[in-house]
Amino acid sequence: MKKFVFSVLTVLLVFALAACGNDGDKDSESKVSASSDSSSEKIKTDISSPVEIDFWHAMSGNHEIALQKITDDFNSSQEDITVKLVNQGSYDDLNTKNMAAAKAGNLPALTQAYEDWMTNYIDHDLITDLTPYVTSDEVGLSKEEVDDIVQIFREANTWDGKYYGMPFNKSTQIMYYNVDYFEEAGLNAPTTWDELRDAAEKLTTEKDGRKIVGLGLENSTSSQINQWVLQAGGNYLDEDSGKFLMNSPEGKEALEFLNGMFKDGSARLAGEDGYMSEPFARGDAAIYFGSSAGIPYVAAPAKENGVNWAAAPLPKGKQAATAFAGTNVAIFSSATDDEKLAAWEFIKFLINADNTTYWAMETGYLPVRYSALEKKEWVTFTTDHPEYGVGEKQFDAGFYDPRLAGAYELKNAVAKVIDKVFLGELTEDEGLKSAEEAANKSLKK
Amino acid sequence: MQRAAFSKGFIYLVLIIGSVCMLLPFAWMFITSIKSPGEVMMMPPVWIPEDFKWENYKEAWSMAPFARYTINSIIVTVLSTLGELVTTILAAYAFSRMHFYGRDILFSILLGTMMVPGEVLLIPNYVTLSNLGWIDQYQALIIPWLASIFSIFLLRQFFLGIPQELSYAAKIDGCNNFRFLWTIMVPLAKPALITIVLLKAIGSWNSFLWPLIVTQSKEMRTLPVGLTSFSTEAGINYELLMAASTMIILPMIILYFCLQRYIIEGVAKAGIKG
Amino acid sequence: MIQKPTFTSTWKALLYLLPALVILLTFNIYPIIKSFIMSFYTDYDFFKDIVYEYGLDNFTYIFQDAEFWKSVVNTLVFVIGVVPLSIVISLGIAILLNTKIRFKGIFRSIYFLPFVTSVIAISMVWRWLYHTDYGLINYSLGLFGIEKIAWLTDPQWAMPAIIIMCIWKGLGYNIIIFLAGLQNIDQQLYLAAQIDGAKPWKRFMNITLPMLSPTMFFISIVSVINSFKVFDEVFALFDGKPGPAYSAQTIVYYIFEKFYNEWEFGIASAAAIILFVIIFLITLIQLRLGRSRIIY
Repeated sequence: MKKFVFSVLTVLLVFALAACGNDGDKDSESKVSASSDSSSEKIKTDISSPVEIDFWHAMSGNHEIALQKITDDFNSSQEDITVKLVNQGSYDDLNTKNMAAAKAGNLPALTQAYEDWMTNYIDHDLITDLTPYVTSDEVGLSKEEVDDIVQIFREANTWDGKYYGMPFNKSTQIMYYNVDYFEEAGLNAPTTWDELRDAAEKLTTEKDGRKIVGLGLENSTSSQINQWVLQAGGNYLDEDSGKFLMNSPEGKEALEFLNGMFKDGSARLAGEDGYMSEPFARGDAAIYFGSSAGIPYVAAPAKENGVNWAAAPLPKGKQAATAFAGTNVAIFSSATDDEKLAAWEFIKFLINADNTTYWAMETGYLPVRYSALEKKEWVTFTTDHPEYGVGEKQFDAGFYDPRLAGAYELKNAVAKVIDKVFLGELTEDEGLKSAEEAANKSLKK
Repeated sequence: MQRAAFSKGFIYLVLIIGSVCMLLPFAWMFITSIKSPGEVMMMPPVWIPEDFKWENYKEAWSMAPFARYTINSIIVTVLSTLGELVTTILAAYAFSRMHFYGRDILFSILLGTMMVPGEVLLIPNYVTLSNLGWIDQYQALIIPWLASIFSIFLLRQFFLGIPQELSYAAKIDGCNNFRFLWTIMVPLAKPALITIVLLKAIGSWNSFLWPLIVTQSKEMRTLPVGLTSFSTEAGINYELLMAASTMIILPMIILYFCLQRYIIEGVAKAGIKG
Repeated sequence: MIQKPTFTSTWKALLYLLPALVILLTFNIYPIIKSFIMSFYTDYDFFKDIVYEYGLDNFTYIFQDAEFWKSVVNTLVFVIGVVPLSIVISLGIAILLNTKIRFKGIFRSIYFLPFVTSVIAISMVWRWLYHTDYGLINYSLGLFGIEKIAWLTDPQWAMPAIIIMCIWKGLGYNIIIFLAGLQNIDQQLYLAAQIDGAKPWKRFMNITLPMLSPTMFFISIVSVINSFKVFDEVFALFDGKPGPAYSAQTIVYYIFEKFYNEWEFGIASAAAIILFVIIFLITLIQLRLGRSRIIY
């Protein structure tokens, strides 16, 4: 897995160097590492009059309450800047809302954004390069502070060596399992694919007329198929050459592994249940792969139904691989210099060690700083609630979705095909072949 | 005689079975909406819940901004219906009672565009509205719907059926066009106007694709759009989903039973003529 | 007294027409032309509203897109599944309702009820009825020993699920129109036939059906056009997806997907134009067929 991260890094470096060689009209790229010299980049570093900025987000429920608390703290911590939270519904809503606002020219200063949205926004010059802010002597971050941000999250926010965002609500896939069922069957939490299949088979039963499935997976499994392919030791997409690599023996192994379990009934997708968290919390699934951000959504109903559960890292195939998802915060270029600076100040506050810890404890998202992981409150908290500590154990196995132009369409197009394989409409081989065709078609566009 | 009674019985039987099929989904919706989560998932199904869990309604209502959705739906329905009524009356009058150059050509062009499915208009209208900066605003939900060719056509036909002599008489009395229209034609055209209003209001209240596309924030959503996003939040809590559906459907059913004579007659007439 | 148009009368009329015309020109007529033009946009920046290139690429893309053809086939299956069945059932019920029975009004209201309720809300109810494990439909089928059907998650059953729901929802409208048509038939004809000793079936074939042909014609055109545009039901029944593995994707859903989810304005406009052409052609064919068969 480290290899993968390393190769991504190399790619980014090559890009950065190539960009530097370009007439050198903007040499900010090189400043990512050399934070000392920032005099040439002109950004505003003090706020002349009070500013109010909007932050468009897609957080709801507990997540929204925690975000509001941090924002209120920020607003009362200083006098000049007021941040107003605007809930835009779901992530998809937020993205379309951003696009519409870009068109109408009424974008906010700050937004949450996934990496693939950001690729698109960068293409249309919609978001600001944050590098000058990061490297600024007056308002920037020190080298130690930059390095303190979890590496994989930092990389995910870097395009051609420039920062376009900062990680905010980052989650990862974890394995939830029903402790009672495992104890009854005398099993331990699986750590490998073989153990996973074995446990899923043994735990698939019927109890008091209720069907219990061994492994419950989200309906979005097909769009997260890269995780399984990487676990099988394969690769999904090479960001460098833009080549789709899933049509490989490893890709086939991943599909056969999943499909085998779907066919013999030891695994199922959420299907009509929408999300798997509730059936799991009701005791209808023994194992459930889900987002760490779903912890509160599992915990509450599980408590109500008296279901004992725990969480563990995902079992590994040939290697461990865990998708890291969740959004970053980015600043729109349409904001005024004052607004940009205000937004940057807020970002720094939002992801400082204290706030990222508070955020993680309230929501199940991960702290985005290494120093937060060592904080006493976090250590005590994860000792009391071990499920919240699972995510960080997987940092080394982490990867994020490809960010090439067209990657979003590619992911969807491939997911459509993989769904057909899961539903038995296509065989694994046919699926891989048409997935490759679909992928190449969306890359060409 | 016996055969007649038999066939009568057969007719009733078929009609009753059919009615049960029509009503069962509504009944099942309501029964589910007052069940406990445990009863919802029980097989064989529970027909009469042990306690009536009315609090499901409270819970569903508070899980999403349904109050706001309802207000939006009411605003959009009322304003676009009233607006359409005014533009329709004026245009239908011009097409039926006024003589002007290009009348017949204009009218045929308008009729011709009725052939074009609304889906064709979707994308350019979206672009227009976003150029105007109206996306996610009430304007986008209301203004494009302030006129309807179908309604103009319907009312024009009705106006044509009102004897010409009336207007001559009125003119002799010194009544101008505008007063004549509002004081004589409009009251006479009441049946047609009721049809137009009811069909428009039902259509506007239930419309989905357009509000889905032009609204993004929760604050601007109408009930149907809000319900689809709620259905994701409700997940497998079908009792809550059914409670929310009941809250949307019930007002329509009540309104329908109060006004059904007009609605059914309206559909029969508009259908045949349109 | 025949009035002739004058310039004054034209000005006056324009004032009356103005409110409606402004709206219709902006949101009905201009977009028809614009949509046609947009279907030739091959390189378009939506944010700056600049077209860099025009061409036929969108149409070539669509014609080579297997998904588009799948959605055309699905739509045709839907139309063929809904329209004939719906017409037969509603005609049957309308004829029964047209006999001398009591509670006629109540029956009529009941059958019409689904038509006035929100498609979205009622689709939620059907989603629940269709639930594989806890749905009322599978439970009822189980009473007859029929095994559970995964209505909403099995690609093969997605279309039938939509079709059944849409027939249920649309029956009332057709019944009302048929009833109006039946009531327009001259009762003398039946009397005369009865005197001639014609049996009910004969009367139906020789009087009811021919006299009802304009109504039948109207209903079939309206139903076909509306069925071609099915979208809301699919969206709501499958929770914002066009069925499992896109098995219930219809033409309008395809347009929606390209436009709203993929921001391919040119391709979506081209698909919308194709939808228009299909509907136009089918209506023409129906008009042709209708003209030769209908007795007015």
